[in-house]
Amino acid sequence: MIEVKNVTKTYGKKQNSFLALDDINFVIPDGASVAILGKSGSGKSTLMHAMSGLDRPEKGQVIVDGEDILQLKTKQVDTFRAEKIGFIFQSFFVQANESVSDNVSLPLEIAGVPQRIRSKKIRAALESVDLIDKIGNKAKNLSGGQKQRLAVARAIVNEPRIIFADEPTGNLDSVTGQKVEDMLFGYNKENGVTLIIVTHDPELAAKCDIQINIKDGKIDSIV
Amino acid sequence: MKAQDIIRRAGRNLSQAKVRTLLTSLAIAVGAFTITLALAAGTGGRAYTNAMVEQSGDSLSLNVYPKYEAQAEAASGLEEYGVEKQESTSGMKVLKQKDATELKALEGVQTVSPMYSIDVTYVTRGEGFKKYIAPVTTKADRTAMILAAGSLNDNMVDRGGAIVPKSYLESLGFTDPQAAIGQTIILSIPRYDSAGLPTGESKELSLKIAAVDQKGDTALYYQEMIRVSPEDSEAMAQYQRGPEKADQFYGLVVLAKKGTDIKALQESIKAKGYDVYSLQDMREALLQMINVAQWALVAFGALAIFTSIFGIINTQYISVLERTQQIGLMKALGMRSRDIGRLFRYEAAWVGFLGGLLGTILAVLVTLANPLITSALKLEEGTRLLIVDPLPSILLILLLMAISVASGYFPSRKAAKLDPIEALRTE
Repeated sequence: MIEVKNVTKTYGKKQNSFLALDDINFVIPDGASVAILGKSGSGKSTLMHAMSGLDRPEKGQVIVDGEDILQLKTKQVDTFRAEKIGFIFQSFFVQANESVSDNVSLPLEIAGVPQRIRSKKIRAALESVDLIDKIGNKAKNLSGGQKQRLAVARAIVNEPRIIFADEPTGNLDSVTGQKVEDMLFGYNKENGVTLIIVTHDPELAAKCDIQINIKDGKIDSIV
Repeated sequence: MKAQDIIRRAGRNLSQAKVRTLLTSLAIAVGAFTITLALAAGTGGRAYTNAMVEQSGDSLSLNVYPKYEAQAEAASGLEEYGVEKQESTSGMKVLKQKDATELKALEGVQTVSPMYSIDVTYVTRGEGFKKYIAPVTTKADRTAMILAAGSLNDNMVDRGGAIVPKSYLESLGFTDPQAAIGQTIILSIPRYDSAGLPTGESKELSLKIAAVDQKGDTALYYQEMIRVSPEDSEAMAQYQRGPEKADQFYGLVVLAKKGTDIKALQESIKAKGYDVYSLQDMREALLQMINVAQWALVAFGALAIFTSIFGIINTQYISVLERTQQIGLMKALGMRSRDIGRLFRYEAAWVGFLGGLLGTILAVLVTLANPLITSALKLEEGTRLLIVDPLPSILLILLLMAISVASGYFPSRKAAKLDPIEALRTE
């Protein structure tokens, strides 16, 4: 369960200060699929950064499974992200010159998983995104949709508890985008992994269990 | 993240930018190449010098002379006219038999032979043969000789024998060196009175040619002279100058027993108030020259490496800039700043390793040209002037890796401190 309490984040100083998040409060149950819906500049990405430990809001708590991650030391937050969280980004961020296998291997290496266990997990992840036949290829030789599927494989290879997806289908055509969406929701339902999607697309948001509307740093409504 | 995984990722990152990696490591390779060759030339040069010196003289012999005292300091100012000059006590002194006896008593001394200078009026093969003027000297030490024919006893000639240079054979009427062996050669020795003037008397000493010697390629110096044994030399000197005067020689040759510490013996003779010269003095002088040359070349190599440091720093900074998104991603995935820094430092270490290895391999390839160098310098066949020692090479590569890592320190710090959110922001 993820509890967000009184989270407030300000950028800049004094006159140039900008209130990105203003006293955000909500609770997300385990295994739910959640959409954080808002327009550009609404603070949705900032909220994701705060919830995943990438950023520290100056006020508030983010309690994941009973532990406030904002109180943890940097090293522990890094470990938390490596072991419990998977990320998917709009721009894929796959490492183009590396092989597909080395791309998926990265979260495992960061978490310190020994080599002999890694290959099994990599294959399993690539199979579930239907990319196993490309295991030896360089990432730059994949199409956009394949790259995002590679990113999904990378996100799930470490069997995380939470997956954050920032505009996952933003750079994909509707057909490929649909495939990736199905993959994500499928993984969410089958494995009980909490899925948090940040998006400005209301159709995608409607497919999730919970929809958090955010506007100008404040929660608008929760559906 | 495990160290071996970081090392592998670092290697992969470099192989994905092959040209840039190659160029950076080439700069280091130039320095490594220069230093390795300089050290190789030093090693080879020293080995060659030692071998050459061994061949040129007897390492177990010392030449002892009376201590040379400098002239009394000339008084400053003008010399007064008409005043008798004081007798100077300077100049060459002589050594006597008692000095020889004193030195013979030292530990490790095998024999002590006086250096005589013998005047010989002429040499001839006998009745009916021509008479020739030739220099004659004593074979006082065991310096190896290159013989065209005949043999020597522990590099010394026995009493009654003579060593004749090959170049004299034609004049003496020998067709080839082998024909000269065992043949008679007669030396005519004039007698001098106590004032050193010839009395008109002379004596003939008959010797058998024991060996014919010739100039070698590696000897430091070679003098063409007829060489006789110390015993015959002494006998000739006794006759020529009379027993009294014969007990004055300008120097002594001390031959040491095998296994003696020559340097210690040299010091103990010096302590007794003599001037002593040994082959080692020359060897040390030559070695010093080689060492100076070697370190000068090493300094050039070090300069090349110093220059390459700037290249490494620059390349690393550019690499960090280029891979900002990659770094941001890795941090988002939970990679610790410390490990990001280590990733870039390992890449720098790889570059240092590759450069050092490349430079060393190229230097070793150059040493394959040893035969060419030897023949170009007209040295003895089989001489290797470039010898690469494996241990210094390994240490050099490790040192270069350390220098590279140190160069990459600031860029890797920058990478480690990147803010992941900023890094992931795409334009």
